Amino acid sequence: MAEFSLPANSRVGKGKFHPAPAGAKRVKRFNIYRWNPDDGQNPRLDTFEVDLDDCSPMVLDALIKIKNEVDASVTFRRSCREGVCGSCAMNVDGTNTLACIKAIDDVGGDVNVYPLPHLPVVKDLVPDLSTFYAQYAAIEPWLQSESAAPAKERLQSREERAKLDGLYECVMCACCSTACPSYWWNGDRYLGPAILLQAYRWLVDSRDEATGERLDALEDPFRLYRCHTIMNCAKTCPKHLNPAKAIAEIKKMMVERR
Amino acid sequence: MPNSYPIIEHAYDVVVVGAGGAGLRATMGLAEAGLSTACLTKVFPTRSHTVAAQGGISAALGNMGEDDWRWHMYDTVKGSDWLGDQDAIEYMVREGPRAVIELEHYGVPFSRTADGKIFQRAFGGMTTNFGKGIAQRTCAAADRTGHAMLHTLYQQSLKYRAQFFIEYFALDLIMDDDGACRGVMAWNLDDGTMHRFRANMTILATGGYGRAYFSCTSAHTCTGDGNGMVLRAGLPLQDMEFVQFHPTGIYGAGCLITEGSRGEGGFLVNSQGERFMERYAPSAKDLASRDVVSRAMTIEIREGRGVGPQKDHIFLHLDHLDPALLAERLPGISETAQIFAGVDVTKQPIPVLPTVHYNMGGIPTNFHGEALTIKGSSPEAAVPGLMAVGEAACVSVHGANRLGSNSLLDLVVFGRAAALRCAAVLKPGASHKSLPKSAGEEAIARLDKLRHASGERSTARIRLDMQRVMQNHAAVFRTQETLDEGVRKIGEVRDMMPHVKVADRSLIWNSDLVETLELDNLVRQAVVTMHAAANRKESRGAHAREDFPDRDDVHWMKHTAIFLGADGKPRIDYRPVHANPLTNDVQAIPPQPRVY
Amino acid sequence: MSLRTPLGRVRGLGSAKDGVGHWWLQRVTAVALVPLAVILVGMMLHLARADHATVLAYMGHTYVATFTALGLIAAFWHLKLGIQVVVEDYVHTERLKVAALLANTFGCIVFAGLGVVAVLTLAAGV
Repeated sequence: MAEFSLPANSRVGKGKFHPAPAGAKRVKRFNIYRWNPDDGQNPRLDTFEVDLDDCSPMVLDALIKIKNEVDASVTFRRSCREGVCGSCAMNVDGTNTLACIKAIDDVGGDVNVYPLPHLPVVKDLVPDLSTFYAQYAAIEPWLQSESAAPAKERLQSREERAKLDGLYECVMCACCSTACPSYWWNGDRYLGPAILLQAYRWLVDSRDEATGERLDALEDPFRLYRCHTIMNCAKTCPKHLNPAKAIAEIKKMMVERR
Repeated sequence: MPNSYPIIEHAYDVVVVGAGGAGLRATMGLAEAGLSTACLTKVFPTRSHTVAAQGGISAALGNMGEDDWRWHMYDTVKGSDWLGDQDAIEYMVREGPRAVIELEHYGVPFSRTADGKIFQRAFGGMTTNFGKGIAQRTCAAADRTGHAMLHTLYQQSLKYRAQFFIEYFALDLIMDDDGACRGVMAWNLDDGTMHRFRANMTILATGGYGRAYFSCTSAHTCTGDGNGMVLRAGLPLQDMEFVQFHPTGIYGAGCLITEGSRGEGGFLVNSQGERFMERYAPSAKDLASRDVVSRAMTIEIREGRGVGPQKDHIFLHLDHLDPALLAERLPGISETAQIFAGVDVTKQPIPVLPTVHYNMGGIPTNFHGEALTIKGSSPEAAVPGLMAVGEAACVSVHGANRLGSNSLLDLVVFGRAAALRCAAVLKPGASHKSLPKSAGEEAIARLDKLRHASGERSTARIRLDMQRVMQNHAAVFRTQETLDEGVRKIGEVRDMMPHVKVADRSLIWNSDLVETLELDNLVRQAVVTMHAAANRKESRGAHAREDFPDRDDVHWMKHTAIFLGADGKPRIDYRPVHANPLTNDVQAIPPQPRVY
Repeated sequence: MSLRTPLGRVRGLGSAKDGVGHWWLQRVTAVALVPLAVILVGMMLHLARADHATVLAYMGHTYVATFTALGLIAAFWHLKLGIQVVVEDYVHTERLKVAALLANTFGCIVFAGLGVVAVLTLAAGV
């Protein structure tokens, strides 16, 4: 059966408490998931009190402050800090998002920070995304065209180009896929919203000539049709994209070609 | 001690370090050419900082009016304040149109003109007819061109089945006794293992080191690791004193607002509501090159005409532009301004400040990408087995100041050039010369030492000290006094490195140790940057000396080549600027006064 | 533990080139069930207080029998498709899954069959 409860060695225990520095006025508690692959212990939830008067506004800023000033071993991915690289995807306050563009003030009460759900954890907030990346490679996400390329650019009308808006901007953070219950239960066979959004990006690119082959590869009870329009993907996407709509469009294309 | 680290061996024709635009373009070109290639990267390729490039990639396609690569060349040479090598610049701008068409064929979702061609916008310093008109030369995918390009290049790498080693942190080059590079040592963060990559060519595509500064548009990962490795290998870095400040980083957060926003009609105003750029650059105005605009903004603020309660920044107005145009062509920065400045760009101006953005300096190379050093009487001795591309390299096409949108061009042109060079000089599957068993052990020993470092100063604390020194002493305007003080202070920071404390002792995803290794790289670059700046007694491009306000072509039209001794002391030498172009199709552009 | 590459695992057995039929039929039966359900509920309300003889006579009516039979077929078909998805979603033990899918298919066919035969029997007035 699908696992609905955590196995014994994954149950999260109580961790360390790091109080705010004396004199802090605007204190916010960050409860951060910690798991070290080396010590054989169960995961724990460490609590860090942060003085918001001495911290920049985003959740990532607080995590960096904690790492810099309190516990240097707190581990998470981060890079661009402006919401374009997709590194700092994590579960904040129960929602998958990019920590760098999630304002601390948007979270009422304590800020609970967990890794993206339902992925193997490498350490603390760093999940293993290798299956996700392999799924991306599996859809052959590159322009496929047999007609000889012209000496200049392939022409594309503005209307045709506009179809790619809302698709090509995806930062591959995996927030949507790991928010999808269907991906939780069948992530080994279901491609998930992020990858299907990318698949659709190539299906509607007027320059691509492999639409039929792409649809063939997707037509599968699991790869595509595990989408049950739960809509968590569209709700959670930190870039405000709509993978659910892209999937619906793919399903429409499947029917259209019958 | 290093024996306690088992080493996993690899052998490839070529190893590429870094998977940004240049690294990926090189990697896919090498894979396409049938050379066995490994691409090592400390972040998943699409998370490299090329992803954050916004405005576009320059190329004289002429889709939006007449254009000529010679005009592009003139602009680039002038932008470089005559420190750029004209042969390399000619190569780059002539390759430009082909490079962009190639990207389009790979699938980059460029914005389009009404007749379906690639859309091009105006950018700073880009002109027609040798400075007479304003060129629309910058090919754009809305304001997410870098994102579109990086993802496309990764997709092409997948197509050609390039082999990636993702979340591997490169430690050091493997150099042999003849001064040749034989590969690279790396640490796999995922499982904590150490790896020795042997290669007949190693290509560094490790990007810039913006994080040496307190406020920068660069990602946290922009730590110039390749530059650090080169310095440790006893090789020089070139023109490190030239650090570009982008005029429009968001005040406070430092996030980038593309120059394309001014290309689409945006303008800067001071506290008196004046479009002050008209005074500093009467013809190009807000589209003068970046060093000029950044200096103008700094002067405005310094003379009390900054905006905000502290009068310490400038407003960028886009609110007069059609909201539909903003939505179509500048959606990304509209979102960024909303998130990081709380500003609705259709109604309010964006608070901006000149922010560290790009390093013109880096590993000296020729236009094939081959790394150079000064050896005996030769200022251009190629380092066997080593290449550099992208922001890590100093070809030098950007000289003392890079023009906006020339960077993305640099990445793909020289990434490709490096791959072509490898295909020309290497034989697929050629054997590797034997290496001593101990090769690369020094790198492991360095890692081990830092891993167990138990001094009294945290990595973050030393990093902050370094960033403050760089921000205060290697700023937009410089004087001998501030630079000499900077040299002393950055020396103090360097001397704190043996006292660093690392809290995490593990090997799997030890990001504390990664940051410490990065800091080690950053500090070395900060030291050579400050020394090179204190040494250059003229004003040229991004290096603006208040005590030497003029360019001095007689004494200083030369590249700084700076080495860092094992004792941590820099040694400065020079290389000549290539003042002649590559072919007879264009005449050399002689130095002129630089006005916009 | 598997040492297979992630790409190998993801590609797995390849595309089944199937699924659109299932998806489409689920929607077709759903659409069919909208009017059928209205009709069936209307009939039940109509017969709510009726005695046995009235019901028998009513069910003997051609239209009534036809729509009732069609309603049963559409409902069980839809049910079968739906439960199949739920089983595939949550039951990951192979034997259990196959057993559940068989039980679902047989159960739905048997109950649909019983229902339709009952309607026909009533209609024939046997």
